[in-house]
Amino acid sequence: MAEQRAQPIGVDRGFWTVTLVLAVLAVASIIFWILFPISKYLPEAIITARQVDTMFRFMAASGSALYVFIAGYLIYFSIAFRAKASDPPDAIGVQIHDNPKLEFWWTLLPAIFVLLLSVISVRIWYEILLEPENGLVIQAIGHQFYFSFRYPNVNGEITDEMHLPLGEPVTLNLTSADVIHGFWVPAMRLKNDTVPGLVTTIRFTPQLAGRYQIICTQFCGVLHSQMHKQVLVIEDRASFDKWYQGWQQRNAHVSNALPAAPGQAISLQGGDAAAGKTLFAQKCTACHKLAPFDQRLVGPGLQGVLHDPAHPNLVNGKPATPENVAGILQNGFTGSLGTMPNASANGLSSQDIANLVAFLNTLKL
Amino acid sequence: MSVAAVHGGGIADHIHPEPQGFIRRYVFSLDHKIIGIQYLITGFVFFMLSGLLAETIRTQLLNPNGGFVSPETYNEVYSIHGSAMVWLVVIPLLTGGFGNLVFPVQIGARDVAFPWLNMLSFWIFPVSGLMLFSSFLMGAPTAGWMEYPPVSLQGQAGTSMWCAAIFLVGVSSTMTGLNFLVTILKMRAPGMTFTRMPLFVWGQFATAPLLMIATTALAAALAALFINREFGVPFYDPTKGGSPVMWQHMFWFYSHPAVYIMILPAFGIISEVLPTFARKSIFGYKMIAFSSAAIALLGFMVWAHHMFTSGLAPFLQLPFMILTYIIGVPTGIKIFSWTATLWGGKIHYSTAMLFAIGFVALFTLGGITGIFLAAIPFDLHVHGTYFIVGHIHYVLVGGSMMGIFAGMYYWFPKMSGRLLNETLGKWHFWLFFIGFNGTFIPMHWLGMLGMPREVATYDPQFTFWNRFETFASYLMTFAILIFFVNIIWSIRYGKKAGANPWGARTLEWQVPSPPHYYNFKHVPTVYGLPYDFSQPLPYKGLEDELTDSPPPVAAGAH
Repeated sequence: MAEQRAQPIGVDRGFWTVTLVLAVLAVASIIFWILFPISKYLPEAIITARQVDTMFRFMAASGSALYVFIAGYLIYFSIAFRAKASDPPDAIGVQIHDNPKLEFWWTLLPAIFVLLLSVISVRIWYEILLEPENGLVIQAIGHQFYFSFRYPNVNGEITDEMHLPLGEPVTLNLTSADVIHGFWVPAMRLKNDTVPGLVTTIRFTPQLAGRYQIICTQFCGVLHSQMHKQVLVIEDRASFDKWYQGWQQRNAHVSNALPAAPGQAISLQGGDAAAGKTLFAQKCTACHKLAPFDQRLVGPGLQGVLHDPAHPNLVNGKPATPENVAGILQNGFTGSLGTMPNASANGLSSQDIANLVAFLNTLKL
Repeated sequence: MSVAAVHGGGIADHIHPEPQGFIRRYVFSLDHKIIGIQYLITGFVFFMLSGLLAETIRTQLLNPNGGFVSPETYNEVYSIHGSAMVWLVVIPLLTGGFGNLVFPVQIGARDVAFPWLNMLSFWIFPVSGLMLFSSFLMGAPTAGWMEYPPVSLQGQAGTSMWCAAIFLVGVSSTMTGLNFLVTILKMRAPGMTFTRMPLFVWGQFATAPLLMIATTALAAALAALFINREFGVPFYDPTKGGSPVMWQHMFWFYSHPAVYIMILPAFGIISEVLPTFARKSIFGYKMIAFSSAAIALLGFMVWAHHMFTSGLAPFLQLPFMILTYIIGVPTGIKIFSWTATLWGGKIHYSTAMLFAIGFVALFTLGGITGIFLAAIPFDLHVHGTYFIVGHIHYVLVGGSMMGIFAGMYYWFPKMSGRLLNETLGKWHFWLFFIGFNGTFIPMHWLGMLGMPREVATYDPQFTFWNRFETFASYLMTFAILIFFVNIIWSIRYGKKAGANPWGARTLEWQVPSPPHYYNFKHVPTVYGLPYDFSQPLPYKGLEDELTDSPPPVAAGAH
């Protein structure tokens, strides 16, 4: 065994040939990532989207180059140093324990790379953070299972698409009415969670007209998969203004009152059944049918909820009285069928609740 | 034996009589090797169950509209899949399983420091596993393995059961960590200094404090979630002044170190397998050992990189990004050192070696995408998408699971006395390797193009790659079936292994397979690192191990 230990092993021509081939492959992979047309697959809808893509290109290029070398050497060493049939069964490799110089460089070079990467990331991140603060201020609110938007001078929440004028800076304040949602527009490379009780802000400037998906990325309940919305970036300022004024008029009669808080006293006097009927169609029919109790969508059917001798109690076990129905509308309820969101999640003011109860009271079996 | 005397050899040579009777030998055993095997069997049973859940997920995603199971069931399935794979499979297999089985013998100890505690740790584990799976009966949790409130406050009754189950399995981990740490600190054989310990022991040594410290943060978070759900104390309920983000801090203060709990022991396995089959000393022993410690330490300082979209102040996020980049340096050192270990070797391609090389290839890819995710600007795009799903599976399946498979092929002869079948093993490796990459590579671009995670239905534009992934995952499952067949077949019909089938040099291979109850007839004295194949073995006092000489006399037997 002693003579085997004495054999030194130097880097030979094979090693340098392989290194050269790997270097060519690494350069090719770098060029690939520099030229790769990302925007062909996913548009860069805001100004900073390009920076995020640049960041990705840089990391993908350097990561691929590194991986080419690691995988390449793994394969090369695996083949070149395999035990051959001609070797004696007790043949051993050359016992190299370490190489301080090599280890110094493969610690120092990654450390320098980390420094470079930190500088680039901080720079790009600050460009995203330092988007202009003026411009259109919009609030986006996550609900189970949709997003709604509050625009300045528009009463109430817009539950339709979000419209933005091209080229105008946007400040988007995100919050949630119930649980944490994720507000993600892939085409904008931008995301933030909507956290109940917190307002988080993202700023951006649309640079490309088009219709883009808003997708929820934080699990928020049973219909999370379907929590999508659209954002429309409009080139023509006049048609944006038309849409905007349309909502101002349409929501003129909507109360801008904040939703009823849990525990707030609600008067059921003066409930308007007609207004309640309209509201029911807007807010309730996603989960409730106007049909007998057993015909449920998500929650039970509500036809005759206050006048059903077969079901004298509500789902929370309390007697079916207008006050207890109002209690569920105000505070929400979680039971075996799922969750009925509370008033702040549904955006119901105390007047809305009174109207809904008045409407439900008119329904007979 | 003056060295032995100095190091308390008199105590080390003291053994207890081997218990008789099936129950005390194999069920409520105090023997670390039996407990290790119990962990492995239980862990692999849970692996099969969670694997079935994984295939349920992939089958649902064959079609953009799902349709295999209802959205409610789908949410339950992926939540339990994630929770079980992390807490009932990877962590117990790597710490309780391989840790118990191997490292006490590797340091020349007769058992772990606290055998009764060890038995208790094990028996908590199947109980908590059953609790976790029983949550299906009362409506399982649906908010993924992270269970972010407030949505987990709305979750079905099983969510509280989930809290209790994970809390319990955490108690088991904490006790295992304590046990291993004390064992490594106090029970090494004479001459087994820290810089002579095998690298698998270093892996466990770096993991043990993580188990002890980080798991307590998770325990507190889980207790608070349970109390919030069951007794209404609003820790996480924003409508009553609680903070849902606090859960995320506490959860990730555990769960980021947990990814190192799940990878450092696997690093250790790889660092044993590579030199053994390359017939060559490991390259850069000290750097590999110390980088494990560095990773463990840095692992405590990066948790908020999981929370870049959670609404933290920007200046608070910066250090987390940069510290995460810095972890790339010690991890890179390991990868380079393993690659360099192959240089100049005489490589024998056993299945264990294939899995070890496959580990280096796949884990490196997962490490690189980890750096991507640490970059805040890019993370703002791909957080919560399939990109993350791809990344975590490269690290936990391409990394930890490949390490576990390498360990199984490597140490199976030590625990059973028989070799696993190499032909089946190679089929297992290649089908698994191909199926794995086919399943998880496309997830990266699906995520970047706009596919969020934890969804039961998806945009039809992603149909092709989802189907591709599903079929590849079937291949992977088939490969795992081969593995189980191999184990069952080899236990009865496998080739007899003998004490040291691989010509390996660490202590566990110098005693019979399986080792005696008391591990060593005489506690050996260690004179150096085990890895130099050109040197004689650096141990003394092992002459009697493979002979018929009488075992040590048990204390109390006379």
